Amino acid sequence: MYVVRPVELTDIAALEALAAVSMPGVHTLPKTREKIVAMVERSIASFAAHVDIPSEEAYLLVLEAPGEPGIVGTAAIFAAAGSNGTYFSFRNDVIQQVSRDLNISHSVHALTLCSELTGYSQLSSFYVGEREHSTPEAALLSRARLMFAVLAPHRFSDRFFVPLAGVTDSHGGSPFWDALGRKFFKMDFLDAERVIGGARNRTLIVELMPHYPVYVPLLPGDAQAAMGQIHPSGELAFNLLTAEGFEADDYIDIFDGGPILQAHKNSLRTFSGALQRRVALADEAPDRGREPQVRYAVAAAAEHQFRAVVTHCAALESQVNVALSADVQEALRVTEGDTVICVRI
Amino acid sequence: MLVVRAITANDLDALYVMATQVGSGMTTLKPDMKMMSDRLAVAVASFAETIAPEKRDYMFVMEDTDNGRIAGVCAIKGAVGLTEPFYNYRIGTLVHSSREIDVFTRMETLYLSNDLTGSTELCSLFLHPDYRTGNNGKLLSKCRFLFIAQFPHLFTEKLIAEMRGYQEESGRSPFYEGLGRHFFKMEFDHVDALTAVGKKSFIAELMPRQPMYVDYLPQDAQDVIGKVHTSTAPARRLLEQEGLYFEGYVDIFDAGPVLQARVSELRAMRESMLAEIGPVMAGEIACAPQADAGDPMLISNTNLSDFRMILSQTAAVNGAIALPEDEQKILHCQPGDSVRTLTLNPRKNPHV
Repeated sequence: MYVVRPVELTDIAALEALAAVSMPGVHTLPKTREKIVAMVERSIASFAAHVDIPSEEAYLLVLEAPGEPGIVGTAAIFAAAGSNGTYFSFRNDVIQQVSRDLNISHSVHALTLCSELTGYSQLSSFYVGEREHSTPEAALLSRARLMFAVLAPHRFSDRFFVPLAGVTDSHGGSPFWDALGRKFFKMDFLDAERVIGGARNRTLIVELMPHYPVYVPLLPGDAQAAMGQIHPSGELAFNLLTAEGFEADDYIDIFDGGPILQAHKNSLRTFSGALQRRVALADEAPDRGREPQVRYAVAAAAEHQFRAVVTHCAALESQVNVALSADVQEALRVTEGDTVICVRI
Repeated sequence: MLVVRAITANDLDALYVMATQVGSGMTTLKPDMKMMSDRLAVAVASFAETIAPEKRDYMFVMEDTDNGRIAGVCAIKGAVGLTEPFYNYRIGTLVHSSREIDVFTRMETLYLSNDLTGSTELCSLFLHPDYRTGNNGKLLSKCRFLFIAQFPHLFTEKLIAEMRGYQEESGRSPFYEGLGRHFFKMEFDHVDALTAVGKKSFIAELMPRQPMYVDYLPQDAQDVIGKVHTSTAPARRLLEQEGLYFEGYVDIFDAGPVLQARVSELRAMRESMLAEIGPVMAGEIACAPQADAGDPMLISNTNLSDFRMILSQTAAVNGAIALPEDEQKILHCQPGDSVRTLTLNPRKNPHV
């Protein structure tokens, strides 16, 4: 059975192996062992921390495949983006140009450097192996972060966002960067990302990026076309997140113009659809024909022992208990009478 | 002989005919009878001093006294931007610098501004093609400096002149295509026409209020910022000779330069002199500074309501000028009257 659980120190080697095969980009895993170790340690400390106000915590979840060592997917959530600075993005503004005297009315798009996403909780580092791409486990991995947030709302903001990698060409060039960031940074896209370490909260962004709106019609066609477009590698994440309730269009990344999906938790399906149920033991030989089975993501409602799996059971809306088989209970490390949360998947 | 004189109500028809020959890009002279007669009324009231100085619009025509034809026109507006906003782009500089990663980027920006509000403006210069020879253009343009030097109290300290911006031969304005079109969604000629009928501020209100990075504009638009229309280049040189200079303000539509000066620093203020019409004593000629032979003089009368100015070969000597009788007649002057004189061209070395 596939299980999503918090990362552990023993996963470091497996993460390194994953990082080697995952796409080159900044919204995924760190590339060096040193940074991976730092991320794992930070995650372990974050899960262990007693949090009053969300701050610098970063939680990294991993997906374990049944019966094999190592891990096949990662997904992270930062408690508060830019917590030790400001998270910068471009806001997509529409400026209405109206002149009654001249009978003119039209709109002009402009990008404005903004810090509005600062303090939002940020989902990132979503990666899942090729084999699991179209399985419910990919959805489980993506959604598990939000299930954890349902369980521990005090650890997160009420709002969430996810930056997705933007379009780049085969040489790692970005048309959006070339039209915009390059003019200020005077360097290639990948060099700039390397210099800044993929961060969006560094002071040098304020120092270098435009303080005034960038009027979209003034950008070259290929840069305009790249705005809000995802890198093909981000398609799975994009589909999962939009199905979850995230919305694109309001913000884009300041470097590559990739979309930044965002949502208030009330509009996310995990939050609105999460059911808290007591664990009961499922029949050893369930009468399969009796009730239609529904697929659920189920997570142990234990803040310090978070685990999530996909399982099938009868629709839970009108029930007090959820019947879980012994191996599911074991995977979740729960026993009868414990509380779990369940979300249709 | 050509005389530049204060406009009168009788010049309306001739002015209209002239306006029909002006192409696009010259927004202050449009063949519109209503607008023109309104403007003329203001001009006549200005010379008669019946309206406040900041509302005045002194228009001058160049008349060919041989045939009574109007050969050119020019004007000085007392103050701009006091009834409706006067917009320009100011070219600014923003430095984006990060010590941390050792990047230093200097960016030019365009700031929408009303900085020039209240300035006195030189405008509406047009010389009929038949008369574009010799010193006629200079006479027409420079008459205004002599007028200002004679009546400086009527003007604000800041003087400006908007120059027609660069257009390609086809009439295409690269700056407008690169910038304004995105915001106005109309043809340059249309914008130009609206500007002429006093709707410029309406259009400007459609302009983005925040500074704009020049680097975002297409290269051909960047290249023409502060560049004048080919046909305006000589006019620009004349104004620069008189003490105007480009200080980083440009038109919001075609990016033509705005030239500026402080009135007190104009060449006409420093070098023009009053002289009394009358005979010059023989002895004084000997002590007179050696005037360049053939260097023509701008000579005007000192009468506001009937200001007249000509180009003469006669120079003043120690406060006296032996102006030929026919020239006196054209200036409506007689012996004993004062006239103001200024060399047409700046002296090569004015301090010797």
